[in-house]
Amino acid sequence: MAHRTHPNSETNPVKLLQRENQDWSTLLTKVGHERDRQAFEQLFRHFAPLIKGFHHNRTTQAISAEAADELVQETLLKVWRKAPSFDASRASASTWIFTIMRNTRIDMLRRSGRHKSADIIEAVDVWDETPEHQPLIFLQRRRNEREIAESLHSLPTEQSHVLEKAYMEGKSHSEISTELALPLGTVKSRVRLALKKLQARLAK
Amino acid sequence: MIRHHPDKNMLLEYTVGSLPEGPNLIVAAHVQMCTECRAQYHTMNTLGGSILENCTEQSLKENAFEQLMGRIDQSPAPKGNTAADRPKISEPLLNDAPPVVHKLLAKNPPIKWKSITPALKMCRLSTGQDKYEVSFHRLSCGGKVAEHDHRGAELTLVLYGRFSDSNGVYGRGDFLLREPGEVHRPTVTEDQECLCFSAVQAPVALTGVNGWLLNRLIPFHPG
Repeated sequence: MAHRTHPNSETNPVKLLQRENQDWSTLLTKVGHERDRQAFEQLFRHFAPLIKGFHHNRTTQAISAEAADELVQETLLKVWRKAPSFDASRASASTWIFTIMRNTRIDMLRRSGRHKSADIIEAVDVWDETPEHQPLIFLQRRRNEREIAESLHSLPTEQSHVLEKAYMEGKSHSEISTELALPLGTVKSRVRLALKKLQARLAK
Repeated sequence: MIRHHPDKNMLLEYTVGSLPEGPNLIVAAHVQMCTECRAQYHTMNTLGGSILENCTEQSLKENAFEQLMGRIDQSPAPKGNTAADRPKISEPLLNDAPPVVHKLLAKNPPIKWKSITPALKMCRLSTGQDKYEVSFHRLSCGGKVAEHDHRGAELTLVLYGRFSDSNGVYGRGDFLLREPGEVHRPTVTEDQECLCFSAVQAPVALTGVNGWLLNRLIPFHPG
């Protein structure tokens, strides 16, 4: 994974991520409360290329470049519309945008699929986009996000690779096992080990 | 208290959207009922947010932002789903079912129970897919289901009441996965009925004489 550079001179990518994330959350709150188009443009300039890169890059071509462009548009349209329900005390901007993006991708894939299951039930009814309100653990949440970002950077490549395939390509464990020619048990245990490291940091 | 949960691998597959639709509905309903799994799901969403923040940017068409703002200005925001479209539930045992089950009920005709045995009734649900049969199973007080084998995976979520098999007791919110080849014989507690939400991959093979008869009575109808 590439680390983007920040105009400021700080070099620790995780610290950067944290500060940026707070800024993005502030901007997203402005978009929601004030319908601030300038704030929305800043969010767009930051997240749109990431959303495209999440689905279509040199190593991952989960969907075509055209479909990725369409997904960017659909996702950010929903971000604009749903921004009033964004609550920075419950989730960071990147986590919230991830859930909107995942749901948008699922609805897009279903609409293009053979079975029109989108007619039956929408992704948002199956994957909640907003955590329930737990105001007491606000600081805990901030710390957790930092810990998760840090542990993602410290995972062995073989574990982070499997996680990326699961998240970015939307692949099941058995699809990953076929693709990487690894036993299913190995894929499962890599995922579990990665999650365990993450949980261990959270429990510290 | 909920004691039986999907494992972490299955929760991750749920989070990234790679479970088949049938199982996905059962896991989603469990997550909506279970604080513990919901917390895991949010952690996994946060991990998704971190992966998003760290991935390689890809450039967009120059006018992508203007294009989006054009769409925003032209199309009025659709009316969001509200509690208003929550239909009247024809089955009182489902009053406390999680939201995803209510959504599914709203898209299906009113529940009509079909008797399979004196103790077991079922109602199939249309979910827009054909790999798994998604249905409600309703067992009477003290009812027993014939011992059965699983030719395909069966995922079950208890929505009301309790039942037990040789592996344990399952109450409201508990999640069970039975893999092909596992034989079990669920028995409902005497004090109340039991209602389960389940997805079955392939026909359930019933063992024993009654089982043979039941196999004839329960044809597999996914969808």
